[in-house]
Amino acid sequence: MSFYSAENLYFSYNSTPILQGVDLHIAEGSIVSLLGPNGTGKSTLMKLFLGLLSPKSGEVILKGKPLQSYSMRERALHVSYVPQSTQVAFAFCALDIVIMGRIAFESWFQKPSKTDMDLARTAMDRLGILHLEKRTFQTLSGGEKQLVLIARSLAQGAKILVMDEPVSGLDYGNQLRLLETIMKLSKEGYTFLKSTHFPEHALMLGGYTYALKDGHILAHGLTCKTITEELINELYHTKIELKQTACGYPVCIPSFVQTKA
Amino acid sequence: MKNSLLFGLIATALGISLLVSLSLGRYEIDLGSLTQLLLWKVFNIGTAPHDVSLLSNIVFDIRLPRILAVILVGAALSVSGGAFQAMFVNPLVSPGILGVLAGASFGAALGIMISNSWFGVQLFSFTFGFVAVLVALGVAKIYGSSGSKTILLVLGGVISSSFFSALLSVVKYVADPYNKLPTIVYWLMGSFSAVDMKTVSSVAIPLFVSTVMLSLMGKYLNVLSLGDEDAKALGIRVAWVRNSAILLATLLSTLTVVVAGMIGWVGLIIPHIARFMVGADNRVLLPMCALLGATFLIIVDTLCRTSMSIEIPIGIATSLIGIPIFVLALRNAKKGFA
Repeated sequence: MSFYSAENLYFSYNSTPILQGVDLHIAEGSIVSLLGPNGTGKSTLMKLFLGLLSPKSGEVILKGKPLQSYSMRERALHVSYVPQSTQVAFAFCALDIVIMGRIAFESWFQKPSKTDMDLARTAMDRLGILHLEKRTFQTLSGGEKQLVLIARSLAQGAKILVMDEPVSGLDYGNQLRLLETIMKLSKEGYTFLKSTHFPEHALMLGGYTYALKDGHILAHGLTCKTITEELINELYHTKIELKQTACGYPVCIPSFVQTKA
Repeated sequence: MKNSLLFGLIATALGISLLVSLSLGRYEIDLGSLTQLLLWKVFNIGTAPHDVSLLSNIVFDIRLPRILAVILVGAALSVSGGAFQAMFVNPLVSPGILGVLAGASFGAALGIMISNSWFGVQLFSFTFGFVAVLVALGVAKIYGSSGSKTILLVLGGVISSSFFSALLSVVKYVADPYNKLPTIVYWLMGSFSAVDMKTVSSVAIPLFVSTVMLSLMGKYLNVLSLGDEDAKALGIRVAWVRNSAILLATLLSTLTVVVAGMIGWVGLIIPHIARFMVGADNRVLLPMCALLGATFLIIVDTLCRTSMSIEIPIGIATSLIGIPIFVLALRNAKKGFA
């Protein structure tokens, strides 16, 4: 039984084809990174996995059942979304945002129950941001905002997190801390599907990588096997050299740096 | 805790305005006799006051229906304004954004022109309020597959409002200038003077229930303000929530026109004042809008019917009072909304 997968997905906006015959398989507890140039369909693919868009043909399977057969609420039990950035127009505090992860499981008249509050606080505590609970969301830094949105996903109770370029706009330290958080959660059994512009980040997290170009899967497999100098050149039209460090960890070195040296 | 204190405070203000409004008028009743009458009539405590039949006629048959209507309309306009501001994530939105007030006004004018019964006028007004919103939704639907849903709704509303305002002008132009036109013009200025127990009893339940239901939608509107995709990913049926809010707000707005004609500005300024008091969280904001709107409109209506020898149309009063308040509120809107 496939845990979470897409089979032969086709999608187009009006008549412009975006995805053409995409297969993608995600094993439980794994981290899957999507690589690819801008405008190549990464976000669309993730929206299809979330059920925010419907494929023109092919289907997404979640735990053996087509995603289409899940209601919004049922899907929210299994899969959550960490958007690239959330525009928050009103002055909500961080805890308000996290508690929104429970919205699908409350009825019209209900206030968030004690259990919901506990779930939200526990989620914030796990990520070490409980001290931010009363802070207004807009006043938080980019890294803190991302952690609040991840806490919302944890509060939602879904074990699969779909993340659209989670590190975009974060400073170097926050990028690394966020990747560490993903790694930690993955060890606890969470599954990740995330897009990234940094092959280095995919290499850091390991797991699996799917390289997407012009709506096709160009290459896929274990990250350390998939990301090669040739693939990067083909995806981004830029030359790099992959070097192994002493401990065997691969790093990307752009060619212009080498010519300078 | 600060919020429950504020709610207590405004609820008390509402109670006091209600009592004061009941006692004021052409025949003034002092608060002592009024209390005695209320205790005796409502709770069966104490003794009947002097002139009991005259007093209870004034209080229960004349003033109370009007004041109940004022409370319901004030709450309805404010809650639907607050809900729309939340839904469109825009502080300049008022209940009429989808054309409901223009449609209901046109309907009322048409009713006055072609029908001789008050009920006919109300029915026309109610029907065209809904028709106008359907036109707005229809326009938004035509281009619904692309772009932002709320922008399309706003554009649909602008189109529908303009269309029904134009139709209203047509009706005014062709209406009998001696008999019908003054009635239409007076209606459009808004007034509670024609309200009787029959009107109140027929609209009270839908107004009350819709106000309460819309007030309870705050948490969904909060999530909706994060954007459609985010809300869907959280497991919310976005279209269903949005349509329910539109339906409830439309029902509320048309019923206010049915009861009292056009009353502007309340639905725009009360949410701003409420937001200034309790913040932007719609779970708290919308109930506060209801309380504050009711209190505000009682005060304004009492001024309208007591300050001069003739009654001031309430739509004029809310505009004259509302505009300076709005100018003050804008200062806070800049920081409080964003």
